[in-house]
Amino acid sequence: MNSVPSIVVTGLGMVTPIGTGREEFWNALIAGKCGFGPVQSFNTSGYSVHLGAEILDFEPKDHVVRLRTRVIGRSSQLAIAAARLALTDASLDLETIDRRRAGVCVGTTSGEPHFIERFDDRYVQGDIANAGDGLIRGYPCHVVPSHVAAELEFAGETMMIPTACAAGNYAIAHASDVLRAGRADIMLAGGADCFSRITYTGFARLGAIAPELCQPFDRNRKGMVPGEGAGFLLLERKDQAIARGARIYCEVAGYGLSCDAHHMTAAHPQGEGASRAMVMALKQSGVAAEDVDYISAHGTGTPTNDRLETIAMKKTFGELAYRIPVSSVKSMLGHTMGAASAIEAAVCALAITHQQIPPTMNLHEQDPECDLDFVPNQARKRKVKVAMNNAYAFGGNNSSLLFRASAA
Amino acid sequence: MELEVIKIKVKEAIQQVTGVDAAGISDSASYIDDLDLDSLAILEIAVAVESEFKFQATDEELSSIRTVEDTITLVKRRIFAEVA
Amino acid sequence: MKRVAITGAGVITSFGDSPAALHSALSDGEKAAYRLEDCEAGVSACRQGGHIGSFQPETYLKGKPLRALDRTGRIVAAAAKLALENSGWTAEILCKHDVGLVLGTMFGSVHTISEFDRRGLTHGASYVSPMDFANTVLNAAAGQTAIWHNLRGINSTIACGATSGLMALGYAADLIRHGSQTALLAGGADEFCFEAFCGFDQAGLLCRCNGHSEFPVPFSAQRSGFALGEGAVLLMLEEWSAAVDRGAPILGEIRGHGSSYDPAANGECGPETIAQAMNSALYDSGIRAAEVSCISASANGSVFADRNEAMAIRATFNGSGDAVPVTAIKSMVGEALGASGALQTVALLQSLQTGVLPGIRGLEQPGPEIPALNLCRRKQDINAGFGLINSVGFDGNACSLMISV
Repeated sequence: MNSVPSIVVTGLGMVTPIGTGREEFWNALIAGKCGFGPVQSFNTSGYSVHLGAEILDFEPKDHVVRLRTRVIGRSSQLAIAAARLALTDASLDLETIDRRRAGVCVGTTSGEPHFIERFDDRYVQGDIANAGDGLIRGYPCHVVPSHVAAELEFAGETMMIPTACAAGNYAIAHASDVLRAGRADIMLAGGADCFSRITYTGFARLGAIAPELCQPFDRNRKGMVPGEGAGFLLLERKDQAIARGARIYCEVAGYGLSCDAHHMTAAHPQGEGASRAMVMALKQSGVAAEDVDYISAHGTGTPTNDRLETIAMKKTFGELAYRIPVSSVKSMLGHTMGAASAIEAAVCALAITHQQIPPTMNLHEQDPECDLDFVPNQARKRKVKVAMNNAYAFGGNNSSLLFRASAA
Repeated sequence: MELEVIKIKVKEAIQQVTGVDAAGISDSASYIDDLDLDSLAILEIAVAVESEFKFQATDEELSSIRTVEDTITLVKRRIFAEVA
Repeated sequence: MKRVAITGAGVITSFGDSPAALHSALSDGEKAAYRLEDCEAGVSACRQGGHIGSFQPETYLKGKPLRALDRTGRIVAAAAKLALENSGWTAEILCKHDVGLVLGTMFGSVHTISEFDRRGLTHGASYVSPMDFANTVLNAAAGQTAIWHNLRGINSTIACGATSGLMALGYAADLIRHGSQTALLAGGADEFCFEAFCGFDQAGLLCRCNGHSEFPVPFSAQRSGFALGEGAVLLMLEEWSAAVDRGAPILGEIRGHGSSYDPAANGECGPETIAQAMNSALYDSGIRAAEVSCISASANGSVFADRNEAMAIRATFNGSGDAVPVTAIKSMVGEALGASGALQTVALLQSLQTGVLPGIRGLEQPGPEIPALNLCRRKQDINAGFGLINSVGFDGNACSLMISV
């Protein structure tokens, strides 16, 4: 690993239900601000639940300059906004870079669902002959990174990794590999998902949506709250970042990816695959278990996930698990799907920068089966040199990303 | 609706999801232990039954179903409750 | 850097389910299309499509109920079974080793997603299918296949439109080259469904039949668009010395790859972008253009994309451009989207092994705007050596992969 270049994070951008841009977002997190409310994007009167975490004040024209906002979907708009914010945050002058060596890697769960929802509306009305070209030009999920690349005029590798609720981690992992291999000089890596009727309907049918609050690790937790958002990290090789005088948030130290090969929508009961991913991340990073200072949990707030995730952390860390603070920002943002682990990766970078850990909100009565330190209700100042970001998805996809403070 | 018709329709829903022949499914069969189904398949059967008999089970009712008989009892209760 | 061995492949195509059968049929110039019935084509004028009518999942997937898998999941799980068998990975060995899966797909299954949503619209949100919901995520087929075959290594899905399959092979190859994985199934899949067909038709990308029934011919003067196909193709990739140690058959090697994007935002991939992908693949492989024995073009009958790719080949091969033989198997299999790049790779591997390159079926006169290239109108003999596969999307992505035997 010694000859392998170090990859660093030099820019952060996000659009979330509790704030847009690094400063507003971090301040909201530390203050414990929650972004839940009744769903506004579509009519939920036929559903048993009505809670969502939507972004109510997003104005695409504030962020999208080159492409036409009427033609591109909302996930692409959110992604472009977060990508531009990350570039600005990195103080990167686009005139100085070789665009053929600038790439985009994005994760998502749904891509651009509004296009297929419109197609389906017409289909059931018998009006498919007037569907238009949206199903090809606007819908397929790879349009999201394509639109970001088109907006920024990047001509390098452009990829979508749609590994659902773990996708952001996969995108960041791959982007760091692309840079290590010398295939690009800068990579925008992140995730994006807009609020989706299809996603909401499915999770409601599974009984997975909470009626009032997202309460990860709480004894009375009743489920997750679907949300929307986008988060991007600007990644580059450390020597290049230093040469241009960039501010370095942290290093992408390593990652671990595994598959449960067990069940499509429920995690392995002994946390086997999730634990393997954590162990792989530690090994790849050369980080010892006792050096982990913070874990950003997947922590959706469903009874099953939180219990199994606790088991997986104990399986990985043993007794150490009781001394590592863990928090779930989904307690505030809801579940932003493919954006979640990208936003949570940014949270790790910020925790290292500010030496502060965001809380798990709404944690009133901790579940005795979830008996670790989940940083209840109050942000905490603490030394954070190494942070782990965990995310799990349908299909048994497990991911762990490790971030480490960059030595000068 | 007669009890026998309810049983047949419930078992047909199970057959549709699992491929197991409806005629061979006993009332006392446990979804997990005898039919070897996972949570997603069990929920799929429940939704097929709800759709067939036009009702919506509560979360509590869904989580208490363990056997084919439990499903039949739930349907009976819901259908006769509406008639009454 | 480690070397990437290809130790087997599994194919589910309208030409049969083995690489040898596929290559034999392509070499014979057998037609892929079946004529779509009016009810299948809907309001489209197009009647060409490469639907695998004969696929029987029970032939490949035994012992467990299939209801949980949609059609895309079934063709992928079937291709995985064939690839695992072909490369000698038994269930017993899989219990002891974490083999991964990297799947390229454009749509996952847009049919499943649309059906799930339509059921909610017509029956109400309470009566949607939970099993269908599990298959509405694009990584569903990869997840289902991992469950079916106990694949516990990395499980990743790559969606880059029509270049997905080739991008997945490049992604997987790099994981092995840089030492983080030793065995991976990699490739791509997309199913033919009404929703995709209707979408492409409305976008004006499908061939216009103009009264004659011939399958679209890449590079030809009469080309008007592509015919939609389908398939599932997975290659077993392994770290070279690990493959040698376990006595695996080594069929070939992935030498390198490259990709690029055209940000001009008008949807088409310009010749410079395609050339950039090819040059990146050559550079990554450490190979000069003159050493390439054959090229498997992405051309599928699209008016602009075929021309742009031909110009890019001419520019990249510059001198050797009119000598290196170029084939385009989409002249027979149609545009199989996520499966295409992997399908082309398996076909080219067979071609290099047998020394026979299939011709471009139906090509008589290339369009006048197509630069001079050695386009193979009939099958021809080639030397073993290096083969280049191109994948060009209709929305700006381009990718190239270099293999050798």
